[in-house]
Amino acid sequence: MTDPLLQQTLKGVFRLAAPEIALVGTACVVFLFGCLYNRRWLWFVVSLLGVVLAGVLAGTIKTQMPPIPSAAPLIPDAAAQFVRWVALVGAFVLVFVSWAEVDRTNAAEYYACLLTAAAGVSLVGRANDLITLFLALELLSIPTYILLYLPARTKLNQEAAAKYFLLSVMSSAVMLFGFSYLYGLTGSVNLTVIADALTKAHAEALNPMALVAAVMVIAAMAFRVTAVPFHFYAPDVYEGAPAGVVAQLAFFPKVAGFVALARVFGLLGADGRHLPFDTNTQVPLLLWIIAVMTMCLGNVLALLQDNVRRMLAYSSVAHGGYMLMGVVVASSLPDAKAPPDVGGIDAVLVYLVAYGMMTVGSFAVILFLSTPERPVESIDDLAGLSQSHPISAGAMAVFMFSLIGLPLTAGFAGKLLLFVGAIDAPTDSPAMRDLYRWLAVFAAVNAAVGAYYYLRVVGVMFLRTPIRPPVRSRAVPTFLAAVALAGGTLFFGVYPEPIARAARKAAPVPSAPAKATTDAR
Amino acid sequence: MSDPIGLALAIPALPLAAALLAWLAAGNKALKNYAHLPLVAACATAAVLAFLLLNTVLDGSAPNYVSKPVTWFAAGHLKVNFTITVDALSTVMLGMITFIATMIAVFSGGYMKGDKGFPRFFAVMSLFVFSMCGLVLANNFLLLVAFWEGVGLCSYLLVGYYYEKPSAADAARKAFLVTRLGDTGFLLGIFMLWKLGGWNTDLTALFEHIAQHPPGEGQLTLACLLLFCGAVGKSAQFPLYVWLPDAMEGPTPVSALIHAATMVTAGVYLLARCAPLFAKAPAAQITVAWIGGITALLAAFIALAQTDLKRILAYSTVSQLGFMFMALGTSGAIDPTFAVAAAMFHLFTHAFFKALLFLAAGSVMHAMGNVIDVRRFSGLRKVMPVTHLTFLCGAAALAGFPLLSGFWSKDLVLESLTEASESPSKYSAGYFALFLVACTTAFLTAFYTFRAYFLTFWGPEKVPEEAGHHAHESPSSMTMPLLVLAVGAVFVGGTLEPFTHWFSDFLSSTPSLDAARKAAEAAPLAHHLNWTLVGVSTALALAGIGAAFALYRNGGAEKAPLGLDPVFALSRDKLYVDELYHAVLVKPAEVLAFLARVFDGFLDALSRLVAAVPRFLGAWVRPIQTGLVQFYALSMALGLAVFLSFVVFRITR
Repeated sequence: MTDPLLQQTLKGVFRLAAPEIALVGTACVVFLFGCLYNRRWLWFVVSLLGVVLAGVLAGTIKTQMPPIPSAAPLIPDAAAQFVRWVALVGAFVLVFVSWAEVDRTNAAEYYACLLTAAAGVSLVGRANDLITLFLALELLSIPTYILLYLPARTKLNQEAAAKYFLLSVMSSAVMLFGFSYLYGLTGSVNLTVIADALTKAHAEALNPMALVAAVMVIAAMAFRVTAVPFHFYAPDVYEGAPAGVVAQLAFFPKVAGFVALARVFGLLGADGRHLPFDTNTQVPLLLWIIAVMTMCLGNVLALLQDNVRRMLAYSSVAHGGYMLMGVVVASSLPDAKAPPDVGGIDAVLVYLVAYGMMTVGSFAVILFLSTPERPVESIDDLAGLSQSHPISAGAMAVFMFSLIGLPLTAGFAGKLLLFVGAIDAPTDSPAMRDLYRWLAVFAAVNAAVGAYYYLRVVGVMFLRTPIRPPVRSRAVPTFLAAVALAGGTLFFGVYPEPIARAARKAAPVPSAPAKATTDAR
Repeated sequence: MSDPIGLALAIPALPLAAALLAWLAAGNKALKNYAHLPLVAACATAAVLAFLLLNTVLDGSAPNYVSKPVTWFAAGHLKVNFTITVDALSTVMLGMITFIATMIAVFSGGYMKGDKGFPRFFAVMSLFVFSMCGLVLANNFLLLVAFWEGVGLCSYLLVGYYYEKPSAADAARKAFLVTRLGDTGFLLGIFMLWKLGGWNTDLTALFEHIAQHPPGEGQLTLACLLLFCGAVGKSAQFPLYVWLPDAMEGPTPVSALIHAATMVTAGVYLLARCAPLFAKAPAAQITVAWIGGITALLAAFIALAQTDLKRILAYSTVSQLGFMFMALGTSGAIDPTFAVAAAMFHLFTHAFFKALLFLAAGSVMHAMGNVIDVRRFSGLRKVMPVTHLTFLCGAAALAGFPLLSGFWSKDLVLESLTEASESPSKYSAGYFALFLVACTTAFLTAFYTFRAYFLTFWGPEKVPEEAGHHAHESPSSMTMPLLVLAVGAVFVGGTLEPFTHWFSDFLSSTPSLDAARKAAEAAPLAHHLNWTLVGVSTALALAGIGAAFALYRNGGAEKAPLGLDPVFALSRDKLYVDELYHAVLVKPAEVLAFLARVFDGFLDALSRLVAAVPRFLGAWVRPIQTGLVQFYALSMALGLAVFLSFVVFRITR
C-alpha cells in the first residue's frame, strides 16, 4: 500500500462515484425525514432535485482514468458515462411517471428506493471488479423488492413481489457462484485482470472451469434481461405489480444486465479484438441459442395475450432477445476481416435507449389511464381511446409503432443497427459459420410476427368505440412523462445520430481487424 | 445577415412557423379569421430574404454555398449526410416561389373569406410553401424525395379541400395516384443512380463520381429516363397529364400556386438540377424533348374547345410545361446552359402570367357565384374592369404578344430548338420536327387563350343567376395582387433577358450547369436576337389572336371555324384520352382486381394457416407458464444445467 499510484487509484474512487453518492445521499435524507413529513409533492420535488444535483455533479466533475486500471474498482470510461446518463435521465423520467401511483403514505420510501436503484444502475456501468459489480447489482435489486411491496394492496401484488424476490435471490446466488470461479481461476477480482488472464489462457487451451463460470454469469444476467428460460417471472410480475414499478423493472435491470454481461465478457473493454470468450469457446453459440429462443418464445406467447401488461411483458422478453443479438455479434469481432460497420454492443446501447423510451412510455400511458375503480388490464380496456384521450392514444400509438420498428421511430434506428451488425458479421469462423445471418433472419421473422400484436393495440384504440371510457385522470406528471417519451421516440427516430454517436463512443469499433494485424506480424 | 446558409434556412422555416400558427389559430374562434396573416407575413419576409440571398449569390464571390453536412445516420461506410445548396438555380426558384406565394396569400385572404375551413386552408398552404422551398434547397436525393412527397401530400390535401364534394375527393385521389405512378419510376431511378454514383446520395458528390467513373451509356440513359418518370408525373406530361385538369376542383388560389406556378414546375427544376447527367445521355434528351412536344401540342389542342375557364388554363399549363421540357431536351445537342436557361426562363415568366390568369379567373369565379363555365357569362368588361385589364395582360403574355414576357421566353425556347436542329447531333432532324410542333402549339396557344378572353369579357353582358344582382368587381385584397402580377407579366421578360441576358448569365454561374457544359462538350452559344424567329413568332401570335377575334368577339363558345366541326368535337371530348385510359387501364384493372380477389381468398386462407402456426405453438408452450414459483425456480436450474452440459459437450467433442 505504499505505491503512490495505487493510493491515488484507490482515493480517486469517491470522485468517480460522486453523482451516485449524491443520489444515495438524497435517498437517505428522504428515508429519514419521510416518517416526519408525509407530503407527496415535497418528496417528488426533493427527489427531482437529487437527480438534478447528481446530473450537475456528473456534468461538472472532471474525471480521468485511474493510473492503474488493474487495481481500480471503478473506471470512468465512455461506456460508464453513457450508462450513467441513461440511469440519470431514466430516474428523472421515472420520478414523473410514478407520480400517479405514489400516495402520501409511501411517497418518501417510493422515491428513495427509485433513486437508490438508479444509483445501482449507474454504478454497474463503471464497476471494474467483481465485488463492486455485485454490490451495484444488489443496490438495484434490493430497492426493487421494496418497491414491489410498497403499494401492494392485493393478493396479486404480494404474490408478484414474493415471486420476484425469490427468483432474484436465486439468480444472485448463481451469479456469486460464477464470480467465485472467476476469482479462483485468476486470483483477482478485477475485471481488467480477469479478462486479460482468460484471453491469454484461452489462446493456448480452453479452460473448462472458465466456461462454467461464463455459463453461470450468463444465467444470472439472463434473469435480469428476461431471457428464456429465466424469463418466467416476467409475465406474472408485470401483471401483478404496480405499473410504475413495472416501468422501472422493465428498464433498469435490462440496462444493468446487458452492461454487466458486456463488462464481464470483456466486450466493453479497451480492445474488442481480444476477447476472453471468443467463438472458439462456444459461449457465443450458447448466447445465439438463448437469443433465438428468447425472441421466438416471447413473440409467440405475446400473440396469445389479452392482458395488455402480460402482452408487454412477453414483448419485453422478445426485445431482450433482439438485444442479445448485439452481444452475439460483438463476440465475432476477433474474427472480423475488415472493420465492421456496427460492433454489436453499440447497437445494444442504442437499442436500450430506444427500448427504455418506448416501454417506460407504454407503462406510463397505462398508469395514467388506470384508476383503482377502473384499472387498465385487458387490451379491450383501451378501446376507443382515440376519442376519450386523443393525446394518450397518440403517444401509445407512437410507442407501439416504435416497438414494431417502423421507420422514423427510435425502435427502427435500434433494430437497423442490430440487423446491420448481424448481416455484416464474418461468416467463416468455424464455430459460427453463417449463423449470424440466420440470427438476422430469425429476428426479421419475429419482428414481422410482433407487428401483429402491437397493431392490435393501435387498432383497438383507434377503430373501436369506447366500451367503458377511462375516467379523467389528474396525474399530470405521468402524462407529461408519457408525452415527452413519445416526443423523444419520434425525435431519435428522425434524427438518431446523437445517440448512435454516443453509443459508438462508448463501445468503439476497433479500426483495424484482429486477423489483419496477426497476418502482418 | 450575410450568411447565405442561415438565410436559406430561414426561408423554409418561416412558412413552417406560419403553418404551426395557422394550425393553432384553428382552435380559437376569435383568431380563426386571421389565419391568413401568418402566411402573408411569412411569405413576404421570405421573399425579402430570398431577394437578399439572390444578391449574395449575384455579387459573385462564390458560385455556390453548401451547408455543413448534417449526418442523419452513420454506421461505418453507410453514411447519409444532409446538405442544402444555395446557387443561382435555387435562388431564382426561391425568389420566384416566395414572391408568387406572397401575392397568392394576399389574394386568398380575400378569396377564402368566410370559408369554414379557413385556418386549415392556410395551414396546408404554409406547409406547401415550406416543402417547396425545401425541395428547391435540397442537395441530397433523400431530402429531395422527402420534400417531393411533401408537396404531393399538400397538393392532395388542397385539391380535396372541398372534401364533401365527391368530384373533389375523386380528383384528389386521381392526382395522388397518377403522380405516385411517376414517383415509382423516380425512386427506382434514384436507387439506380445511388448505385452508379458510388453510394452517394449527395447530389454534388454523386455528379462528381459519375463524371469521374462514367457508367455505360445504356445504364445512364435508363437512370435518366427513370428520373424523368417522376418529372412526367409531377409536371403533368403525356401520358400522365390527366390529373392536372381534374385538380382544378381545388380552390382557385391553390390552382394558381401549386398547379400553375410552383409544384408542377418541380419536374422541370429536377431535370435542370440533374443536367450533368442528362447531358451525357442524348437518347434520354430526345425522349424528354419529344414527350414535351407531344404534351404541348396535345394539351393545346384539347384546350381549343373547352368551356370551363379554369380547365382551359389547366390544359394551357400542361402545354407550357411541355414547352419547357422541349427546351430541356435540347441540352445535349446544344450548350446545356443555354437550354436550361431557356427552360428556366420560360418557367420564370410562366409563373407570373399563369398565376395572374388563374387569380383573375378566380376573381371572375368569385363574382359569378362560383360559376366558371364560359357559356354562362360574357361581356364582363364593364362589370369587372380591373380583372378584365389584368386578365388581358396575362392572356397577351401567354399568347406570346410581342414584347411581353411570354413572347421573350417562348422565343428562347424556339431558338434552342432551331439551334439544336442545326447542331451536329444525330437527332437534329427530330429537333427540327419539334420546332414545327412548337410553332403550331404557339399558334394554338394564342388562339385558345384569346378565345377564353373574348368569351369572358366581350360580347353582350350576361351574368348567371348564381351571382345574384350584385355582380361586382372583387375587393382590393384580390385586385392588388392581380395588378402587381400583371406588371410582372408585362415587364419581367423584357427587362431580364432579351437585351441584357442578365437571367441566362446569372443562371450559367450554377456549378452543376458548368459541369453539364463540360460533360456535353458542346460549343458555347452566343446570345443574339434571331430576327427571323422574332418575326415568325409575332406572326403566329397575331394570327392566333386575330382568328379568335374573328370567331368569338361576340360570344358563342360552341362555335367552330368553318369545316372544322369534327376537329373541335374531338377537342371538346379531350381526344377521348380519359375514356381510352378507362378502357385500356381501368377496365382490365377491374378484371385483374376480380381475379386478384379470388386469388387473395386463396392466399388469405393460406396465410391464416401460416398465422395459425405461431398461435398453435404458443398454445402448446403456454401451459409451462403455470404460475408456480417452484416450477420457475426448477426451470431456471434446469436451464442452467442444460447450458452447462451444452458447453461442456461442445468443447470436449
